[in-house]
Amino acid sequence: MTTADSLAQLQDGRMPQRYLRNLGTIGIAGQIRLLQAKVAVVGAGGLGGHVVELLARQGVGELLIIDGDSFAQHNWNRQILSTEKNLGMNKALAAAERVAAINSDTQVQAVSRMLEPKAAEAWLGGMDVIVDALDSFAARRMLLQAAQNLRIPLVHGAIAGFTGQVATILPDEKIMPEFLIGETMATSGVELQLGNPAATPAMAAALQSQEVVKLITGVGETLRRQILYFDMEYNLFEKIQLKERV
Amino acid sequence: MQLEIRLYATLRQYAPPGSIAGVFSLELPEGKTVDALAEAIGICPDKVHMRMVNGIGVAGSHHLKDHDRVGLFPPVGGG
Repeated sequence: MTTADSLAQLQDGRMPQRYLRNLGTIGIAGQIRLLQAKVAVVGAGGLGGHVVELLARQGVGELLIIDGDSFAQHNWNRQILSTEKNLGMNKALAAAERVAAINSDTQVQAVSRMLEPKAAEAWLGGMDVIVDALDSFAARRMLLQAAQNLRIPLVHGAIAGFTGQVATILPDEKIMPEFLIGETMATSGVELQLGNPAATPAMAAALQSQEVVKLITGVGETLRRQILYFDMEYNLFEKIQLKERV
Repeated sequence: MQLEIRLYATLRQYAPPGSIAGVFSLELPEGKTVDALAEAIGICPDKVHMRMVNGIGVAGSHHLKDHDRVGLFPPVGGG
């Protein structure tokens, strides 16, 4: 099967077997949109590994995966792409291998470099959605700026300990980004103290992946102009409405 | 004014003894700001990253009123 075969079946009104269990939520029209979509996942660690896994299985047609980092032992507790066999391997390249094993409909471009201000817009141009799966405020600021300049929706996710947050920022909305990425020039949040356990990034990544699917298919409501904050230590979920900058 | 406070993650340690999941009530003089509330419970406002009043994100200079439900969140940036 190729992407063209799957699209031909879908356009004939038939759901390919591999997407049969997607039928009840996004339908044939939604699956066609996903297979024709291009999504950038920036960061292929705790968040990005799960996002790549979920979007490839869901049937996104093209994934651009950017990460200049390589797997270390301290990634094993949570980063689904890291194994005892691929220690030291570049994370974007490992993600590309994983996608190839999951879904041959999904074309992957792996960039084994860190996001850079000069290259960011050249790499990300033409994407339908950008996923922020980074781990520092500085890189997140750079990515948000690139997404806004390119007028591409951004799905933000971040975690620390039992807590995490997810938000969708559309290009025409001037929300206050300091809510997401800090008012100060701090480089990181309370994850330095609380750490990054196994389940929290999986939770945030699942929410981010669902945002991508909703943005592309038009099904449901996205987290635009709001942040979904969760604290799994006490099973608390808060949606915080964001005002537009005046 | 009577406020309902919710503290999250690392800020929860500032909740009074006996409060559950960082949720408690607090009496403050009318018109205090969110930053003043943080200071009143021993939190340096610099440690607060997001502030929510009745479900809406606000700045630290936002003035509070009776029965407001206030959430304070530390910065979250990991991946």
